[in-house]
Amino acid sequence: MKGSAWGRVLAVAFNAYRESVRERVLYNLVFFAIVMTLSGTLLSEISVGQDDKIIVDLGLAAMEVFGILIALFIGVGLVSKEIEKRSLYPLLAKPLRREELLVGKFLGLTATLLVNMSVMAAVMFATLYFAAGEVDLRLLFAVYATFLGLLVVVAIAMLFSSLGSAPVAAVATFCLVVAGRYADVIRNMTSIIPEAPGQLVRVLYHALPNFGNFDLKAEVVYGDPVVVADLVLMTLYAALWIALALGLATLAFRARDLP
Amino acid sequence: MILVLEILGIEKSYRVGFWRGRRRRALQPIDLSLAPGESFGYLGPNGSGKTTTLKILMGLTRADAGSVTLFGRPHEEPSWRHRVGYLPEHPYFYDYLTPVEYLDYVGRLFGMPSSERRARSRELLERLGLEELAAMPLRRCSKGNQQRLGLAQALLNDPELVFLDEPMSGLDPLGRHLVRELIQELRGRGRTIFFSTHILSDAEALCDRIGLLRAGRLISVGRLDEILHVDVAHMEVLVSGADRALQGGPPEGTLQLERVGERLRLEVEEARLGTVIRLLEEHGGRILSVQPKRQSLEEYFVERVAGSGEA
Repeated sequence: MKGSAWGRVLAVAFNAYRESVRERVLYNLVFFAIVMTLSGTLLSEISVGQDDKIIVDLGLAAMEVFGILIALFIGVGLVSKEIEKRSLYPLLAKPLRREELLVGKFLGLTATLLVNMSVMAAVMFATLYFAAGEVDLRLLFAVYATFLGLLVVVAIAMLFSSLGSAPVAAVATFCLVVAGRYADVIRNMTSIIPEAPGQLVRVLYHALPNFGNFDLKAEVVYGDPVVVADLVLMTLYAALWIALALGLATLAFRARDLP
Repeated sequence: MILVLEILGIEKSYRVGFWRGRRRRALQPIDLSLAPGESFGYLGPNGSGKTTTLKILMGLTRADAGSVTLFGRPHEEPSWRHRVGYLPEHPYFYDYLTPVEYLDYVGRLFGMPSSERRARSRELLERLGLEELAAMPLRRCSKGNQQRLGLAQALLNDPELVFLDEPMSGLDPLGRHLVRELIQELRGRGRTIFFSTHILSDAEALCDRIGLLRAGRLISVGRLDEILHVDVAHMEVLVSGADRALQGGPPEGTLQLERVGERLRLEVEEARLGTVIRLLEEHGGRILSVQPKRQSLEEYFVERVAGSGEA
């Protein structure tokens, strides 16, 4: 009766997934995302010839916004809430390493997001099909990119969750995500404000995950080509940030005394 | 003989204050060992360091110094986790799960095959009187039933060493009786038990040895009969219908007299015992029991913890 590390990771992942699908807030968020996507059909009525673009814009935006909310709400509680409630005490006395717990939780929330994104994408595709009579499958690239961005948000939420309380982790994650969304502005700061210290700007830019890299909405909506090499690079970029955030989370969590 | 548990000089302090600049000592260096099959009671008032010790042993908190070995292997090696069960104080379990789901989850962490998980869960839920709640979400279970589930998860892997932090907490008299029986059963099967408790009668009934902790310091460790010395100079006499004998005051040699309902309890010098008993019987008293006056664990606890004496 020894069990493998992967067996334990999957047990934690399955339980984390089960926990999130039993959360009522999740259904509320998915419901609002679907309503937002469907509202695209109403807006398209008042913008002649732009039906599919509005539906796609709204659908992808709904996926991103509500996906971030889900990742934030659930991600920040994955570690800190369990420490506060002491539900981790009996589990960490079992043959479960702290890094296995973190990876399991991450995979569980990844599965939750995958299911939610699939539902939201299906609604968007159905809406598009009924409104425009056809569906551009290249939209899947944009959905995939959004999904990768959400995984980075989850990993960052878990990092902050391993360091402090859930509210602090939520605020810190939100700030980092917003800053990361505008990372390109930071990169171009020296051209807007020439007096800005270039070295500092460069360090700041590289210290932030650039969430703009996970945004393919414009390319897909306006029919620009999506290069496979870019998708590969984007995947590697996401994997790097996830590994970094989870690695730091592991170090922080290992060093943490449970109160 | 390989000791099941050996603690050498573990100590712990926490940083306190706004800037975390001050240190508060939670545990002074502690030495302790447990032999296989022993039942050890870890006693102490609130804040004395019992839970901190258990958290260090379970790897939830790091000791500042000292070492721990379990089953002869260093604490840092994870192999002991398969052989140990742990019930934390005031346990909280995922309220969205049912007892069966929770035990299944724990069984997966131990790498137990699914048939074994199911059989062991069923057996423990039945043993702890939870079989009717097996499919009920934990958010609807009472605190006492959650405590019972805590015991079930601690015993799921049939551990050789069980750490129980306040196992009677939140239990009604029936639950306490059940847990006492369960602990006796574990002792009977040669399991080693380490449990912290405030309920001294449980420690007296269930422990081979006790350790008394005060302000983070282990002030005494030993067998109950060594610690609770039997003072044969005093005898305790329980008598009924002896009011007439006491009309002229307590018999000579009586150190203490106390009414217990219809009965009287007299603490008598051993040398005067025969005279006192004769006097009571001559005046119509019926002797119910005579036994040496033994210090109770509670008296010992109060004396050592509230008093100033230290080992």
